[in-house]
Amino acid sequence: MPDQTQERPRERAAVPPALAGRSLSKGFAGVLALDAVDLTIEAGEVHALLGENGSGKSTLIKLLSGYHRAEGSTEVHVGGASMTLGSPRSSHALGCRFVHQDLGLVDAATIADNLCLGAGFPLRWGTIRARELRRRARGDLARVGVELDPARLVGELTPAMKTGIAVARALASHGGDPVKLLVLDEPTATLPDDEVNDLLGIVERVAASGVGVLYVTHRIDEVFRIADNVTVLRDGRKVTTRPTASLDRRELINLLVGSEFDETQAASEALAPSAADALLHVETLDAGPVRAASFEVAAGEVVGIAGITGSGRETILGALFGANPREAGTVLVGEQPVPAARPAAAMEVGVAYLPPDRPKLGALMELSARENLSLADLRPFWRRMRLQRRAEASETRAWFDRLSIRPLDGSERRLATFSGGNQQKLLFAKWLRRRPRVFLLDEPTQGVDIAAKRELHRQLLLAAADGAAVVVSSSDIDELAVLCHRVLVLRDGRIVANLTGDRVSVDRIARECLNASGKVIAA
Amino acid sequence: MSAAHGSRRPLQRTSRRTLNFGFDRFSGLYLWALFILVFGIWVPNAFLTTDTLHSVASSQAISAMVALAVLAPLAAGVYDLSVGATANLTAIVVAVLQAHHHSIGTAIAVAIATGVAVGVINGFLVVKLQISSFIATLGMATVLAAVQSIVSGQQQPAPPTASSWLNLTQSTVGGFQVVVVYLVVLAVIFWWVLAHTPAGRYIDAVGANAEAARLSGVSVGKWRWLSLVCSGAISGLAGVLYCSLNGPSLTFGTALLLPAYAAVFLGSTQLKPGRFNVWGTLIAVYVLATGVQGLQFVTGVQWLNDMFNGVALLAAVAFAGWRQRKSLSRRFRRSTGRSDEPDATPTEPDQSPSGAATSQVASR
Repeated sequence: MPDQTQERPRERAAVPPALAGRSLSKGFAGVLALDAVDLTIEAGEVHALLGENGSGKSTLIKLLSGYHRAEGSTEVHVGGASMTLGSPRSSHALGCRFVHQDLGLVDAATIADNLCLGAGFPLRWGTIRARELRRRARGDLARVGVELDPARLVGELTPAMKTGIAVARALASHGGDPVKLLVLDEPTATLPDDEVNDLLGIVERVAASGVGVLYVTHRIDEVFRIADNVTVLRDGRKVTTRPTASLDRRELINLLVGSEFDETQAASEALAPSAADALLHVETLDAGPVRAASFEVAAGEVVGIAGITGSGRETILGALFGANPREAGTVLVGEQPVPAARPAAAMEVGVAYLPPDRPKLGALMELSARENLSLADLRPFWRRMRLQRRAEASETRAWFDRLSIRPLDGSERRLATFSGGNQQKLLFAKWLRRRPRVFLLDEPTQGVDIAAKRELHRQLLLAAADGAAVVVSSSDIDELAVLCHRVLVLRDGRIVANLTGDRVSVDRIARECLNASGKVIAA
Repeated sequence: MSAAHGSRRPLQRTSRRTLNFGFDRFSGLYLWALFILVFGIWVPNAFLTTDTLHSVASSQAISAMVALAVLAPLAAGVYDLSVGATANLTAIVVAVLQAHHHSIGTAIAVAIATGVAVGVINGFLVVKLQISSFIATLGMATVLAAVQSIVSGQQQPAPPTASSWLNLTQSTVGGFQVVVVYLVVLAVIFWWVLAHTPAGRYIDAVGANAEAARLSGVSVGKWRWLSLVCSGAISGLAGVLYCSLNGPSLTFGTALLLPAYAAVFLGSTQLKPGRFNVWGTLIAVYVLATGVQGLQFVTGVQWLNDMFNGVALLAAVAFAGWRQRKSLSRRFRRSTGRSDEPDATPTEPDQSPSGAATSQVASR
């Protein structure tokens, strides 16, 4: 496969590029969200677009799809033809196709029906021609190399296969305009790790058929596995476009986040936790996929939990706090037990838990920022038979200042009106307010921009410096590697590695997550 | 307008401080003023009288109480569809007991205890048995109708005639029947609990996102249960007062249910848009009543009441939704991020994660 990828661009030098974007710009309220970005994708090339949240990725995609009207100097050519900016129809007619994170498939319908939902069904006398429908569906599936019975229900498929169906549907032209450019917007964001390969296979096949692919992601591994070239965006500007082969991982991260990770790493190393002050004790914990997990976390220590999806990484912290059930095992904070499945009791002993999936589990979107912040502890405000709203508001403002939550005067606004990063900062503040002794964080920086990520990392380390035992579970290995003093790796529900010191590295963590050569460490 | 607050990203903006007459939040009050103005000019002799004021105030007091009863569970994210049936049952109970020569005090106590018991059972069905509140309280309402038949022997009990019983609601305070005072007291207590105590905050949190509330240490089941007990007790009280005011009826309960929900949903577009709130609910009740009363002076047709209330509810909720979408799309145009903001109409009960399990039961 790698040799193929190198041949592709040379082979098609004569063909006009699938996409030639000049000076792509877009401003909102006088601020440029996308600032003169040039982007060229050859036919048959897989081009990765990499950027943190808020870097301008989605704006760029929306420019290409005609959703946004671009600023003056912007020019877009697709397959050599000029695109009318701000016109979804022109974008479609020139052969741009988009697969969004929300695939827009109907689970309760068959694959064949789903494939025809957009393009229309083959009809005779107003009736669907079933055989023709199946024949077309098979053709569409073959184009992306997916072998499935078109009569199956989409709901039965694995997430990767669903994405495959969405790609097949995007590419299905049924005799219409040929597809020149396929844009995949974070296709693997919700995919289990073991299915990513299936999807990458589909992407390679699409590119091999001569379609230019813009592969938008924030997962660095995939860039190296699939992309010929990579463009990095930061703060709306293009940092660079480079052939993937000329980069290594560390370089790419520095391009992506600037100096953020170096700073965080330095701050983390400056803390010197001593294992003697063990604060959180977990003994033979069974919960969901997690089996017999035992570990201790010292005061002032930041411990990471790594593992692929399904390894127990997503379950373990919630089980400690009581968000999800615990089948066996004991959890102690100091001498005090943390009872199972009772969040309120866990909070009493000083445990705080920042859940993953902010809209579902963390945030009360329709309540104000103030109400979200104070919910976890209303006692200080309950004076003279009422909640003292003024005291509450002034404490909220203090936290807005401390974590630079924007807008500064937004304490009465609904949480839903804040950006993701500011929402997450506010939920951080909600728990920091309680001065937790044990701080459990599940995917603390998912879906936040770099500035917010830096602030969250800083606050997390401050909490540790203040004597909290901090445990971070994250699918972002790069984050764990810079942030943590120690990383526990879960595989098939068991803790298979306890990495310390120099062994806390991206390579080592990734290897332990995947291969089976590690040994189970004794409790 | 908005400056891009110290950052080059436009995602954050300062709150807009523009001159705002509050045509959205206070639209009910403006409408009220409009009704009074229009009917005051149209039919001044009939409309602009203290009699009209007093009669509108007391004729709607019971409806308003039932609306308050509905408010607590809705704020906590569950429906109570048994309020009408509960009120009707307690009205019958209080009349039957008095017919059997029990004291007024005993009769009232037993009647209200009946309401509380209904709430406790509703809570058990919803919280412990995890039945969707829609189904559980609908079933409860049906059961209560049967219980009412048993208690009454399907005969309308004789209206109690003791003067202290009638004075319970019909004596006047400053020209208003005293039932209006009860309503005001009840509303103030409700407002205090819901807006100024931790209990109210917890109930709002449970209604907004039950799972997130649980992970913040809020006991979701407890607050839902309590809110249902509260609605049972209030509807029990409303039933007793109805009986004192109008005499026992076998059928008035059903007619209370939907207007109560209409008032609460309408009220959630007022004062604190997107949140169920006490004063908004009362405004909704009385604005509609004023409109209906005024129109009744102009024309005597029978269908007016239902038509007016229904159209007003649909119009108000549609208007609120439209405004929210408008502000949402304005925000969307300013921001570059995707618009993953949920719509800001009050969270429908049972749409929360923990309610998902129960609504599956419903869909089967």
